[in-house]
Amino acid sequence: MTDPALIRNFSIIAHIDHGKSTLADRILELTHTVEERDMVEQVLDSMDIERERGITIKAQAVRVMYDADDGKTYQLNLIDTPGHVDFTYEVSRSLAACEGVLLVVDAAQGVEAQTVANALMAMNAHLEIIPLINKIDLPAADPERVRHEIEEVLAVPADDAVLASGKTGQGVRDALEAVVRRVPAPAGDPDAPLKALIFDSYFDMYRGVVALVRIVDGAVSAGDKVRLLATDTTTEVEEVGVRRPANTPVGSLGVGEVGYLVTGLKDPSLVKVGDTVTLAKHGARAPLPGYRDVKPMVYTGLFPIDGDQYPDLRDALDKLRLNDPALVYEPESSHALGFGFRVGFLGLLHMEVVKERLEREFSLDLLATAPSVEYHAYLTNGQRVDVRSPQDMPDPSRLERIEEPYLMATILVPPDYIGAVMELAENRRGTFKDLQYLSATTVEMHYEIPLSELIMDFFDQLKSRTKGYASLDYEYIGYRPSELVKLDVLLAGKPVDALSFIVHKDKAYQRGKVLTEKLKAIIPRQLFEVPIQAAIGSKIISRETVSAKRKDVLAKCYGGDITRKRKLLEKQKEGKKRMKNLGSVEVPQEAFMAILKVDE
Amino acid sequence: MSKGNDTARTPVHLYVHVPVCRLKCAYCDFFSVAVFDLPMSTAELAEALTRQAVAWSARGLDARPLETLYVGGGTPTILGPSLATLVSSLRECLGFAEGAEITIEANPDSLDDRLVDLLAEAGVTRVSLGVQSFHDDVLRLLGRPHDASRALAAARTVRESGLALSLDVMCGIPGQSMGSWVASLEYAIATGAQHVSVYPLSLESGTPMAAEVLLGRLAEPDPDVAADMMTAACEILTREGFTHYEISNYARPGFESRHNTAYWSGKEYTGVGPGAHGMLSATTARAAGLVVPDEVARVRYAIACDFTYGLDEAPRADIETLSAQEAAREDVMLGLRMMAGVTVASVEDAELTAVLERMAGLGLTECVDGRWRLTARGWLLGNEVFSAVWAGE
Repeated sequence: MTDPALIRNFSIIAHIDHGKSTLADRILELTHTVEERDMVEQVLDSMDIERERGITIKAQAVRVMYDADDGKTYQLNLIDTPGHVDFTYEVSRSLAACEGVLLVVDAAQGVEAQTVANALMAMNAHLEIIPLINKIDLPAADPERVRHEIEEVLAVPADDAVLASGKTGQGVRDALEAVVRRVPAPAGDPDAPLKALIFDSYFDMYRGVVALVRIVDGAVSAGDKVRLLATDTTTEVEEVGVRRPANTPVGSLGVGEVGYLVTGLKDPSLVKVGDTVTLAKHGARAPLPGYRDVKPMVYTGLFPIDGDQYPDLRDALDKLRLNDPALVYEPESSHALGFGFRVGFLGLLHMEVVKERLEREFSLDLLATAPSVEYHAYLTNGQRVDVRSPQDMPDPSRLERIEEPYLMATILVPPDYIGAVMELAENRRGTFKDLQYLSATTVEMHYEIPLSELIMDFFDQLKSRTKGYASLDYEYIGYRPSELVKLDVLLAGKPVDALSFIVHKDKAYQRGKVLTEKLKAIIPRQLFEVPIQAAIGSKIISRETVSAKRKDVLAKCYGGDITRKRKLLEKQKEGKKRMKNLGSVEVPQEAFMAILKVDE
Repeated sequence: MSKGNDTARTPVHLYVHVPVCRLKCAYCDFFSVAVFDLPMSTAELAEALTRQAVAWSARGLDARPLETLYVGGGTPTILGPSLATLVSSLRECLGFAEGAEITIEANPDSLDDRLVDLLAEAGVTRVSLGVQSFHDDVLRLLGRPHDASRALAAARTVRESGLALSLDVMCGIPGQSMGSWVASLEYAIATGAQHVSVYPLSLESGTPMAAEVLLGRLAEPDPDVAADMMTAACEILTREGFTHYEISNYARPGFESRHNTAYWSGKEYTGVGPGAHGMLSATTARAAGLVVPDEVARVRYAIACDFTYGLDEAPRADIETLSAQEAAREDVMLGLRMMAGVTVASVEDAELTAVLERMAGLGLTECVDGRWRLTARGWLLGNEVFSAVWAGE
């Protein structure tokens, strides 16, 4: 165990592409945690998707030993956090394990939306914020302007901001010196009962669930019987260790230290982010603050394009869930798409990432239906039905009322874009609450807005309408009654359940019209005319027609063309196989996502 | 197919590819180079082509005189008098059967009285003239190096020499009206041509015209307009006494292209010249010294698009092999291009009866007098049928 005075726990936070992962790589090199020859880029981002997209999805922790200028050797625990609004709760728990942050800002780009959101989270967690102006080697770097922006927009003193370049390694040592000098040493009571914060977990094929923890009070050793408070689970710790970045067993972890516990548990759902670990006997009574039971915000149907892949999809979901306890799913069947799963996600990015991993790591071809939220339908007999899929919607005659989840959305934006934000929010059924000037260049706006509107590419729209400046955060505020109807789509006269969606009554006509127009553009011409209709109940509200294809023939086919044209036909046939055959209509996969983009 | 014959013989159909043009047309994606890029004289090219044709026929196969020869391109007429020499040399080295069909593809801009006379003397029987249109604005859009009056003059020259004349005309061109299309057809008929090929414009990726469309400077060809124009052409030409014998081809009785018909009926043919293709049965291919795996029934080859390797006596080529089942399906697929269709027996042999019955249910095929063929609707939707036939499902 290390003297807490020689421990510093910190995180690096940054807007996407401002160089967070590269900076982390340099820190690992400088402290000889990873030798240069073993270096791969973005060491801490271990998933392919993380490296490709330059995002961090899973939290990570690594311990480095740093010989500081004061002659002492410090234990620095770098906790890498996911950087997306879908994972806000996970980020808050990672930050709760730290005393300070390096706030990385690109020397050319300056303060951006995510910088603001991240800085606010760090402030709310009462962390020491050390501004670091990165990429100062760029020709377009303007550290003075960026320094000014940090002070103006974030109200964070930036006189002694660290100037660094993750690319050249310049200033990295200065950053670590600043961490040692400015980030407070962890304070905790070594004699109090164990309290350890779980800020992430993962599943090891051989050892079961491994929890990443920060010790707040007390200590933990291998062999200790511990209890997880939120799930009231008791188990024996099989191993205690630290990540350097490979797992390295240690005898015990004491106050302020960060490491891992091999829990001996086989069920990932028992080990929840934000939960408190204490001793089974004479343990702490009260948990650490801030725990939340994370519930999926967004549901979608995932169906294998090839029905034979259904068992493979189930196995793949089971495997993914081991490392992603936030993933929930239940079997679902659709007339149009066959057997699949209704899967719950933390948000749209989470959904995209899971879908991509399923397709890539498990070689599945999947079709995703439009995302939905969980509605509460109250029947005339007083019973409540949870509606996670439009198919679950009870018949209107039995319906007393429907409620939908609402959020309080916080939007930060430069004053020039207030109008753009208001237009978007109102268009999405948002109710304006208040507006405050945080500085001359930043306005904070609050809206109450249905979650279902937020998942309809709201974030993308917000970004594009504010040239990327707006940042968005939200908080769940509960269910509220709403006038919702189920809108059905009929192709060639037959309802396609997978295209149904739930929409506010006032928007049904417009959405129906735009959707049928979109589908008309997406569905290729077939041998027969295909009518596309949108309907509420038995009432058709809009109609388009895909006229029959009249000409599709390779006119020139002589000696030299035969092989080539045959290949062309094979390619067309391949393309058709990627489509879903609904009755006699070939429907491309994009059709099922068209519902998402019916706003503009 | 000559499968099972004891001694393999040379194919009786020969295609010679002359990969040279004066200019490349805006829509064309065939292998050809502009004449000033040709790394040899036109006479040397003609000699090399002849040598390659002879080499193919001298590989242990029993030589047979040619039934058909088709010299295409590119623009074969750009060879000038060397083109007549090429035909004469082939006659000397390989021989032609009695009544052989010898076709030369020609562009109006490189065909004059003198050349036509030389070709007729060399024994050419048929000229296929790529006029495309009789409207100058359409010809300009296509990037053709000739105008309408030149096209008419070239057609007249061919007719006056007594050679059979085939014209290529194109429809579905952005900006082309139905009126101008019908007028072009009437001009074509008025030339006295015995054979007309009607093609809808198709955008081939990588061509200047496809780029123009991508850049939004040119309207995309409308398939419905092309369908209307193809239907109009069929009505007009059949009314004028032409037989619609293949998807794109119309002929006065007895003037169907025998060479092209060979392609559509599974006959073997050799091809010479860079970019040329050939098709041999496995038996013939083995007899000619090619190494062909046991399960292969048919070999297709494509000669390298290159003036060194592609002009060699043993040219470099891409080889594609087909199993017996694939060959049988291919025969049905190609055979259905012809309005006469294919025999019920050949469809049964290829195990395609169920497929064609399903297509019949969609109104695309019909079975009449012991033959399967495309219907009037299936004619313009041939790809639906062809891809099902090729996939066997």
